[in-house]
Amino acid sequence: MAHNTATEPMVRIEGLRKSFGSLEVLRDINLDIMPGQVVTIIGASGSGKSTLLRCINLLETPDAGHVWFHGADLAAEHVDVNSLREKIGMVFQGFNLFNNMNVLDNCTLAPVTLKKMSKSEAERVAMGHLESVGLADFAHANVSNLSGGQKQRVAIARALCMKPEIMLFDEPTSALDPEIVGEVLEVMRKLAADGMTMVVVTHEMAFAKNVSDEVVFMDRGVIAEKGAPKDMFTAPKQQRTREFLSRYLSD
Amino acid sequence: MDSALTGKQDAPRRRGRLASFVLDDHRYVLLGTSAVAFLGMLLSSQPRPAMSFLAQAFTVEVVMYYLLVAWLVVSAIALVFKLAKWRTYAEVSPFTRPAVRRVLRYASYVVWAIVLVLVVDRVVMGVASAWSVAVAAASQENPRRPEPMLESMCYILYQGRQTFLTGFITTVELAVFGTVIAFFLALLLVFARIQTVDRPDNDFVRFWKKVGAGFAKAYSTVVRGTPMMVQAMVLYYGIFGLFRMTSLTTTQINGIWTTFLAGLVTITLNSTAYMMEVLRGGIESVDAGQLEAARSLGLSQWQAMRKVVFPQGIKYAIPGLSNELVINIKDSSVLSVIGTFDLMFATTTVAGIYYQQFQTALITTVVYLFLTMLASWLLGKFATRFDVKPGPVLGTSDQPIKVEE
Repeated sequence: MAHNTATEPMVRIEGLRKSFGSLEVLRDINLDIMPGQVVTIIGASGSGKSTLLRCINLLETPDAGHVWFHGADLAAEHVDVNSLREKIGMVFQGFNLFNNMNVLDNCTLAPVTLKKMSKSEAERVAMGHLESVGLADFAHANVSNLSGGQKQRVAIARALCMKPEIMLFDEPTSALDPEIVGEVLEVMRKLAADGMTMVVVTHEMAFAKNVSDEVVFMDRGVIAEKGAPKDMFTAPKQQRTREFLSRYLSD
Repeated sequence: MDSALTGKQDAPRRRGRLASFVLDDHRYVLLGTSAVAFLGMLLSSQPRPAMSFLAQAFTVEVVMYYLLVAWLVVSAIALVFKLAKWRTYAEVSPFTRPAVRRVLRYASYVVWAIVLVLVVDRVVMGVASAWSVAVAAASQENPRRPEPMLESMCYILYQGRQTFLTGFITTVELAVFGTVIAFFLALLLVFARIQTVDRPDNDFVRFWKKVGAGFAKAYSTVVRGTPMMVQAMVLYYGIFGLFRMTSLTTTQINGIWTTFLAGLVTITLNSTAYMMEVLRGGIESVDAGQLEAARSLGLSQWQAMRKVVFPQGIKYAIPGLSNELVINIKDSSVLSVIGTFDLMFATTTVAGIYYQQFQTALITTVVYLFLTMLASWLLGKFATRFDVKPGPVLGTSDQPIKVEE
């Protein structure tokens, strides 16, 4: 959780706007993500959290604004988004493991295809990551035979196989049963402790409070408030932050 | 109240629902087999064909007939019992006792056997007799078509066998080659169709992706929006006209641009459009998250499609694709309009010789039905190897594209 002292942000979001039809989902978002930082984005459903996250690796194309990643503007036309995405790992709410492959092939597909890694080398790397998420025994299992928690851990391992510099988590535990949320959060906690830069959209307030370096509260397409978790959860400045947190923390 | 009598007591044998109903349920044994017995009695009252073997054993047939009657009587008694003791039937009826049920089941096998013998005697031997009469009539000095329906049909089939065979082979060739070639063309076309502009693409690539997708869309619209019969005529006469502009004579053109080739091209181009839509439907029914996950790892649109989306999409498309073979078997019949010597053309040719439209069409019906059933059976076997449910195979090409998850 140690703050990296580097002054240059890894991702800088400037004036980001996105609308779906007439619905403005993101309105002038500005956010810096420093290397090694764990940023959690919280907020009510429909507040634009996921869209913001998906703009960082351009799964959604912004209407206006910039997403700087290592000095390249992801929002510019003709940018080589594919090679930039190799450095940005993403974990989805619905796991999205490739159904036509087993666990190991899920992990090795991208390294073999994009990094020109040999199959055996990629498998060695993948086994290492599967080991660290506790699923080495399932390397040859069919994806459909895994539980939700296992699937999500495989998804994390799959993203890690590309050696990303930053990991995006889009509500990684929202599709899981309450009793298996813990195993995924544990993996994420370990990842944060290893110094991975992470942006996590989540409804897990305990995770936001204990693991993140910065909490961003979004409301109706804007960043309503951001700050260190201890300030945010003990003394929120904004009225709407208070309302949101009281709803969540009373549960 | 019969649940205890159905599959449960024989649970270790683990029969399917239908098999369990047929073999274990006494309601079926009594009422279902009565219908079979009744069919047997109807057959028995039919006149015996010339080759009937029961004609030599009259007593046997009489005994068999009365056994069937006896079965009907037993069933009727059981039915009356059931109507009289509606609620307590399971407890009081003698028919539900295990021993009686077992006897009834064995007796039902006897009924089935009797009816089977009658079917062979009347139907199979009937067709055989008709066939021998027809062949005898055809090999006379002055062949004359016998009047009775079955004999007449056999006569037409026998006399026109060369024509029918040629037509049959042509139809099979058209359907099989047409479907196979169309499948590969559809693969090419669907790749063009699903291209979307990717961010890193330069303007040149973007332009060609748009052209490819636009072409595929236009092709599909035109081909699926016009009848195959019209397409066949446009293609055949259009290309024939083009050949005319060269120095080739009509005979030479007929040798190159044959009606078979024109038919094959028509059926291929037609099937390509439908198969492309089936493939597209399959690809589109793959969860969008699969593509997103692949893209998020850095794979390009094309790599993600090829390695992740397409292998899953084609699995969804298999029922629809195999359906296309069955459709082509049937739809190739419209090619007779340009004179392709398929089964339909053979039919009209033979029918014209004997002035027997209905009987000839009936023969062709049986042949087409045999072909389509054989094709769907084979494709069903093929589909189960891919772990897919075979879809409703007998359809028309105008069916909306349906893809099962």
